Amino acid sequence: MTPRWLKPEFRKQGAAALLSSAPLTSTAEDAPVTPPSGYWWWGGRGASVLIEQRAVWVNLGLLLALVLASIAYLCLGSLALDPREVIGALAGQGSMMTTFMVQELRLPRLVAACLTGGAFALAGILMQTLARNRLATPGIIGIDNGATAFAVASVVGLSVSLAPSAMALTGAVTAAVLTFGLAAGSGTQGYRFIVAGIGVGAVFGAITQLLLARVAIDTANAAYPWTVGSLNARAGGSVQLLAVGLALGLIAALALARSLTILRFSEATANGLGVNAKARRMQILLLSVVLTALAVAVAGPVGMVGLIGPEIARALSTPRHVPVVAATLSGALVMVLADLAGRTLLAPIELPVGIVTAIIGGPWLLWILMRPQRSHA
Amino acid sequence: MNDFRTPPSLATEALCMGYGPRRIIDGLDVSLPDAKVTAIVGPNGCGKSTLLSGLARLHKPDGGSVLLSGEDIQRLPSRQLATQLALLPQEAIAPEGLTVTELIRFGRQPHQGWLRQWSAEDQRVVQHALLAAGLEDLADRPIDALSGGQRQRAWIAMTIAQQTPLLLLDEPTSALDLGHQIEVFELVRHLAGHGRTVVMVLHDLASACRYADHLIAMCDGKIVDQGAPAEVVTPQLVRKLYQVECTLLTDPDTGSPLLANVRRTRQPA
Repeated sequence: MTPRWLKPEFRKQGAAALLSSAPLTSTAEDAPVTPPSGYWWWGGRGASVLIEQRAVWVNLGLLLALVLASIAYLCLGSLALDPREVIGALAGQGSMMTTFMVQELRLPRLVAACLTGGAFALAGILMQTLARNRLATPGIIGIDNGATAFAVASVVGLSVSLAPSAMALTGAVTAAVLTFGLAAGSGTQGYRFIVAGIGVGAVFGAITQLLLARVAIDTANAAYPWTVGSLNARAGGSVQLLAVGLALGLIAALALARSLTILRFSEATANGLGVNAKARRMQILLLSVVLTALAVAVAGPVGMVGLIGPEIARALSTPRHVPVVAATLSGALVMVLADLAGRTLLAPIELPVGIVTAIIGGPWLLWILMRPQRSHA
Repeated sequence: MNDFRTPPSLATEALCMGYGPRRIIDGLDVSLPDAKVTAIVGPNGCGKSTLLSGLARLHKPDGGSVLLSGEDIQRLPSRQLATQLALLPQEAIAPEGLTVTELIRFGRQPHQGWLRQWSAEDQRVVQHALLAAGLEDLADRPIDALSGGQRQRAWIAMTIAQQTPLLLLDEPTSALDLGHQIEVFELVRHLAGHGRTVVMVLHDLASACRYADHLIAMCDGKIVDQGAPAEVVTPQLVRKLYQVECTLLTDPDTGSPLLANVRRTRQPA
C-alpha cells in the first residue's frame, strides 16, 4: 500500500530508501552538515555544537541595554553626575564626594538591582516552564509572600535570630510545600496549582500584616520596605549570598536548558523523548524557589519582575528554546530601570522599586490577558 | 524488508496497574507481535490507555513488569528507553510557533547530548522523516497552521526521527475526520511495512479491523481475545465489548471484517 500523499517521485523510488534506519554509516558521518537555518554550527570528530544566532544577538542587545541603563543609574539621582565623572569615580580617580557617591551608594544598589531582577526573572521563567502557564510565577503562587512573611518575622523580632536570607528561604520553601501539598494530585499543571498558590500567598500576606500590626510603630516602619519591595534597606550578607546563588542558578538553568525546552511539551511527550520529567521538574522547582528566596531576602517581594522579565525575553526570542539567559538579563534591566525611576521621578521622595514594578506590571499583566493570540498564517 | 534487524520484543508479565487504590489492570500477560500493527480496542474505561501508558513507562506498574527484549523497562535509563520506544500521546500539544521541521528535530533528542547537538546523521534522519510523512512542502509551516491530519503526521514524523523500532500511539485519529484518519493510518501501515512495531489504542473498531494486523480486545482490564482481526472479530465479541449487535461482512478488497447493521443490544429488564 503506497500512501497517496507521497510525492510520485518517491512512490517510484519506493519508500524503503526514505525510511532506511540503518545504523550510522561512515558515509553519513562524512557527509557535509548543513545546520538548521538560523544556527551556527561547529563540529568534528563526533562532537557538534549548535548556537542559535537570534539568541546571541538578543542576549548581546539586552546586555548592551543593561550597560547603558546601569550608566544612567550611576549618573542620575539627587546629585546628577556626568558619565565621565562616573567612570572616573569607578576607577577611583574622581573627587572624594563623587567616588563616595558612586562606589559606596549607587554601585552597591545597582548590583543589588541587577542581581535581584535577574534572580526574580530566572525563577519566573523556570516556574512558568514547569507549570506550562505564563501566570505561574513565584510571585503569583505565593512563594514571594511566604519568604516575606518569614523575613519580616525575623525583622520584627519573633525571638528568632536567623539571617533574613535563611528566614526567607524557610518561608519560600514552606509556601512551596503548602502550595504543592494543597494541589496534590494535580501536580504542577493546571489551575488548581495556581489557585492553591494564590490562597497560600494571601495567607502569608495576611500574616505579614498581622506581624506588623502587633509591633511598635518604629519596628513596623523598619520592616515596611520588606512588604512592598525595596532596594533601600538591604540586609548585610544577603547580596553576596544572592550573587553566588544567581551564578550557580544560571549555570544550573543552562545545564537544564535542553530538558526545559522539552518540558514545554506534555509530560507524556517529554518522557517519550527520554527526559525524566518528574525528576527534572523537582530540580527546576527547587531552583526557582531558592532563587526567589535569595532575591526576596535582598529586596522583598518584587514578584512582578518575575512576570515581566520572561515576557520580554520570550517576545524577543524564537519558540525553539526557553530563553533563560535573556530572561535573566531582561529582569535585571527592568529592575534597574524601575529603581532608577523610583529614585528620580518624585525626588526627593523615593518610591520603593516594588511599587514602580507593580505600576508597570499591573497594566502589563492586563495586556497579556487581553492581547489577541499571535496567529500564524 | 526489515530495517531493524533484530526488533526488540515488547511484552508484559503479570502486569498490574491502577490509580491509587483503584486497580484497572490486574495480572495481564500480553506479547506484542514484531513488525506488525497491533490495535488495542475495547469500551471506554477498559484499561486500554492505561495499558499503553504502562508499556510506555508513563505510569509505574503496581505489580508485574513490562519487558523490552526480556528486560524490565523500569530498569532502563530514560534516554536509552527513548531510543527503543517512541510514544505519541493523545492530543499532543506543541509550544506555540514551532515549525514542522523544528518539531521533528525534537525527535533526535534521545540521540543528542551537550557535545553532540547536530550531526550529519541527525540531518539525514530529519530529512527522511519529513519525506516519509509527506511533509516536505510544509517543512517551514508553523504547527498551529496545519490541518488536523497534517499535524498528526508531523507528530508521527517526530517519532520517526526518534528512529525507534517500537512506536506507541494513543488514539492517533480520535480528533480527525475520515480523510485525515486515513492519512494517519496509511502512514502507520507504511511504517510497519518497514519493520517498525506499531501499537495503537483505538476507539474505532472498524478502523482497527481495517488497518491492524493484530487485534487485542480488552474489557474490564482483561484481554477478551486477540489475534488477526478476521479471526477475532465476531458478533459475540462486539456484543461483549460494546453491548452492540451487528452483522459481520467481509471487505471484498482487503478481506478484513466489516460491521453492518449495528444497533444497541436490548438490555434484559
